[in-house]
Amino acid sequence: MAENKRRWGFVIEVKRCIDCKACMVACKVENAVPHDKHRNWIGRIGPTGTFPTLGMKFEPGNCMHCDNPPCERVCPTGATYRREDGIVLVEYDKCIGCRYCMQACPYDARFVHTEGYIDKCTFCVHRLDAGQPPACVETCVGGSRHFGDLNDPTSEVSKLLATRDHYVVYEEAGTGPKIFYIS
Amino acid sequence: MEAIEWNLLIVNYLFLAGLSAGAFAISSFATYIGGPHFRRVARIGALIAPWPVTIGVGILVFDLGRPFAFYNLFLTVQFTSPMSIGSWLLTGFIFVTLAYAALWLPAPLDNLLRVPNRAHLKDFSHWTPLSQNTIRRWRAILAAIGFPLSLGVGIYTGILLGAIPSRPFWNTPMVAQLFLFSAMSSGTATVLLVTALLGTRHEHGYEEERRLLVSTDLVFIVLEIFMLVPFLLHHALSTWSSASSIELILGGEYTLWFWVGVILLGIVLPLIIEAYELFPFILKQGAARYSLALSAVSAIFVLIGGFVLRFVFVYAGQASHFLPLVTR
Repeated sequence: MAENKRRWGFVIEVKRCIDCKACMVACKVENAVPHDKHRNWIGRIGPTGTFPTLGMKFEPGNCMHCDNPPCERVCPTGATYRREDGIVLVEYDKCIGCRYCMQACPYDARFVHTEGYIDKCTFCVHRLDAGQPPACVETCVGGSRHFGDLNDPTSEVSKLLATRDHYVVYEEAGTGPKIFYIS
Repeated sequence: MEAIEWNLLIVNYLFLAGLSAGAFAISSFATYIGGPHFRRVARIGALIAPWPVTIGVGILVFDLGRPFAFYNLFLTVQFTSPMSIGSWLLTGFIFVTLAYAALWLPAPLDNLLRVPNRAHLKDFSHWTPLSQNTIRRWRAILAAIGFPLSLGVGIYTGILLGAIPSRPFWNTPMVAQLFLFSAMSSGTATVLLVTALLGTRHEHGYEEERRLLVSTDLVFIVLEIFMLVPFLLHHALSTWSSASSIELILGGEYTLWFWVGVILLGIVLPLIIEAYELFPFILKQGAARYSLALSAVSAIFVLIGGFVLRFVFVYAGQASHFLPLVTR
C-alpha cells in the first residue's frame, strides 16, 4: 500500500492492561521525556459496582492523533500539523508555548516541555519511519496495546476492530480520535 | 490539563485589552458625535487607549513558553485560530490607537505633530505643524478605522475562550458577547473615572458629557445582564459536561468570586448608582443627579467587576472538562 494511504492508529484492550506502567517508562526512555512529564498515561476507571462485586479497569492513553484535531485548528503559528498518514506533530521551532492547544485538547495529551515548547506523543514517528512499532506497543507486557494501519484491512488493528466491540473517548467532541478501546 | 495553564497574567491581559478597546470605542463615538461637549471624552479615551493593551500584550509575550519565538505569530495567518486572527487584530489596533492618541495630544504638545519640510528634512524645528483642520480630519479617519478594530479586539478576547469545545464552561457564543460588553463597559468606566478625578474644569457641556458617559456605561451593564442570564440558563439546561461546569460558579470553587465580584460589584452596584443618577432625566422629572463622586465609585466597581469576570472565566473554564473524567 502506498505510503500516503496509510492511516496509523491504536487499538487498546482495556481488560489486558495491568497498570504496570511499562509503556510510560518505555516512552520516557525512547523519547527522552523530561522529568515529571509524560507523553502517555494510564487512566483508572472505577472502582465500580458495590461490595463485594467491585471492579476496576485501566485505560491507557496517549495523543489520539485525531482526524479532526482541535489542537491543530487553534494553533496560531501552524506549529501543530498533520502528516499525510494522519500523525499529528508539533514543529518545535514554530511553537511559541502559548498553550492554546492544551486548552483545546479534550484528552489533556499535551504538556509544556522544559524547553518551553509544547510536547506530546508522536506515535514514535521516528520508529515508524524505520519500520518499527511505537515503543509503548513493543514493550506492553499484557498485550493490551496494538498498533497498525487502519486503512489496511489485513492489519492486526483492522481485524480487531472488525470483530470486537470498541469505543473512542469523548466521541461527542467530534475529534475523530484514532485510539480505539476494546472494553 | 493537570494544572491551570493560563493564570493571572492572562487574566490581566484579557482585562487590559478589553479596557483599551472600550476606551477607544467611546472616544471614537464621541469624536463622531462631535461638538465641544464631547471633546474631553474623546481626548481622554484616545489618550488612555494605547497603554493598557500595550502593557497587556507585553504580559502576553512574557507568559509564553518561548517568548523569543513570538515572531512566529506574524509569519503566518491561521484562519481557524482565534489567537492568530487576534494577534493581527491587536497589532493593527495598537498602531491605530497610538496614531489616534498622538492626534489628541493637548495644546502645547500638538505642536509636535509636523510634516517634513522639503527644504529642511533634517531640521525638525522647520517642519510644518499640522493645521487644526488636518488634525480634525485625521482624527475622524482614524476613529472610523479604529472603531471596528476596537470592537474586534473586545469580542476577540471572548472568542479566544468560547471557541474551545473541550472546556464546556467557555464553549458558548455568549462568552464572546459578554466579554465585548464588559470591555465596552470597563473602557467607558475608565473614562468616567478619569473625568471624575479631573473634576469639572469646563462647566459648559457638563450635563451632556455626564449623560453620554453614564448612560453608555449603563447600557453596557444592562447588555451584560442579557448575556449572563442566558449563559447561566444555557449551561444549567445543557448536557452533563456543560451543566456540571456551571457548578463551578453555582456552589463550586468560584461561586463567591462570581456572585460577589462579578454580579454584585460589577453589575448590581454600578447599575443602581448609575440608574439613580439618570432616573429623573429618563422619567423627565427634572435634572439628572450627576455626581462626580458617585461616578468615580461606580467606575471603580465596574473595573473590579470586569477584572473578576476575566478571572472567573479564565480559571473556571480551565477547571471544566468533558465527562466522565478518567482519573490518572
